[in-house]
Amino acid sequence: MTEIVAKLIDTTTCIGCKACEAACQQWNDQGTTYGTFDGTYQTMPEVRHDFWNLIKFEEIEHEDNTLDWIFSKYQCMHCIEPGCMDVCPVPGAIFRHDNGIVDFDHNLCIGCGYCIAGCPFDIPRLSPVTQKVYKCTLCSDRTSVGLEPACVKACPTSCLTFGTRDDLLQVAENRAEDLRGAGHDNAGVYNPLGVGGTNVLYVLKDADRPQSYGLPADPAVHWTVKLWKGPVKWLGNLVFFGGLLGVLLHYVRVGPLGEEHGGEA
Amino acid sequence: MSATHDEGRIERFSARERTVHWLAALSFVYVAATGLSLWSHKLLWLATLFGGGEAIRWGHPWGGIVFATILGSLFFSWARQMRIDSDDRRWLRQSHRYALNDSTGLPESGRFNAGQKMLFWAQAVATVALFASGLVMWFPSTAPRGLTFAALLIHPLAAVVSIGGIIVHIYMAVAAIPGSLRAMTRGWVSTDWASSHHAKWYSKMSRP
Repeated sequence: MTEIVAKLIDTTTCIGCKACEAACQQWNDQGTTYGTFDGTYQTMPEVRHDFWNLIKFEEIEHEDNTLDWIFSKYQCMHCIEPGCMDVCPVPGAIFRHDNGIVDFDHNLCIGCGYCIAGCPFDIPRLSPVTQKVYKCTLCSDRTSVGLEPACVKACPTSCLTFGTRDDLLQVAENRAEDLRGAGHDNAGVYNPLGVGGTNVLYVLKDADRPQSYGLPADPAVHWTVKLWKGPVKWLGNLVFFGGLLGVLLHYVRVGPLGEEHGGEA
Repeated sequence: MSATHDEGRIERFSARERTVHWLAALSFVYVAATGLSLWSHKLLWLATLFGGGEAIRWGHPWGGIVFATILGSLFFSWARQMRIDSDDRRWLRQSHRYALNDSTGLPESGRFNAGQKMLFWAQAVATVALFASGLVMWFPSTAPRGLTFAALLIHPLAAVVSIGGIIVHIYMAVAAIPGSLRAMTRGWVSTDWASSHHAKWYSKMSRP
């Protein structure tokens, strides 16, 4: 059985150099037309169809006048239970590799964009050029031949590591333990269970407030999406099939109006 | 054919009404079938009939614009005649008897009976909802996320109302009410048909 892989992002050793951004762009053959400059070090406000790996720069001022300047890499989380895959209308267009990587098949993608709403992390983006949706592939084209993802390869501080999920969860827990021992009482691992856990794991110095890292506190598929794919769908099936059955039974049991006085009166 | 009693016939729908109705029907079949193809994995084969997934992703929103425009034309030509009056309300309270072909004691209907009026208003509301939510869903990368969530819920709900209503509409036209389909294809009904189904309308039309 193929082992489930994962990427670990230790935000405590990230130096915000953006080597991972550059490597991602280079390996995936993306253009370099950068987006909005909003007065921070951040390359652009959010990920784009042609920019899948974004370091978020967050400045957090504390009550005691100290400052945290947080660098936090943001990309597809490769959820164990991917919301994007649940809502995709085309079988196989979004799929999980045996090793856990969530990937898009662009020959099958029709560009409906349902996955954008299905994703609790707001990651997939529709390309205005190809009308198909793109996101980080965890370099499935590299990992399938035994290489590490481009971002991990480029990271100079080893804040990014790639390996089996079981190993990296242990590494992450050990690192969080060390951080707590060094006085960072809230240090912990980000592996949100609302999406069944993720194949991209984080070590956070302040795991009690992941929002500071640009990460949703309790990510889950949005309730309207669950309603749409659950009760609304069942209601619709009931109306569609019930309606067809109903009119058939009406014809058989009641029949056309006016028949009792000789067909169309 | 004018609204006279030639050979016991009376004009029910004008050539313009019939044309607009069948354009609406044609565009409805396209948007409903392509929409249903995305309803479930099991219905994706429907997309193949209309050129495949990418083609319907492009064509469904445009088809929706066409359908909504045509239905808008139908709406404005019929809205006044679709007002629900006190007879209609009494009719609706006894509509279960109508469904069992027992029309005794039902209030006489005007040009449209209360059931047709309900269908008209249901389609009007559903189409506005489908149009508005569809516009949001057309641009999944640029629409605000909150709006998209609302649209993804409203669009299928309105589609259920619309398609559910059309199932009954088509059944009644094709099978349950003999004579009604020809009223929409060739435009005329017999005077007997008119007086038994739409007595108030018939007496108004047959007045000199």
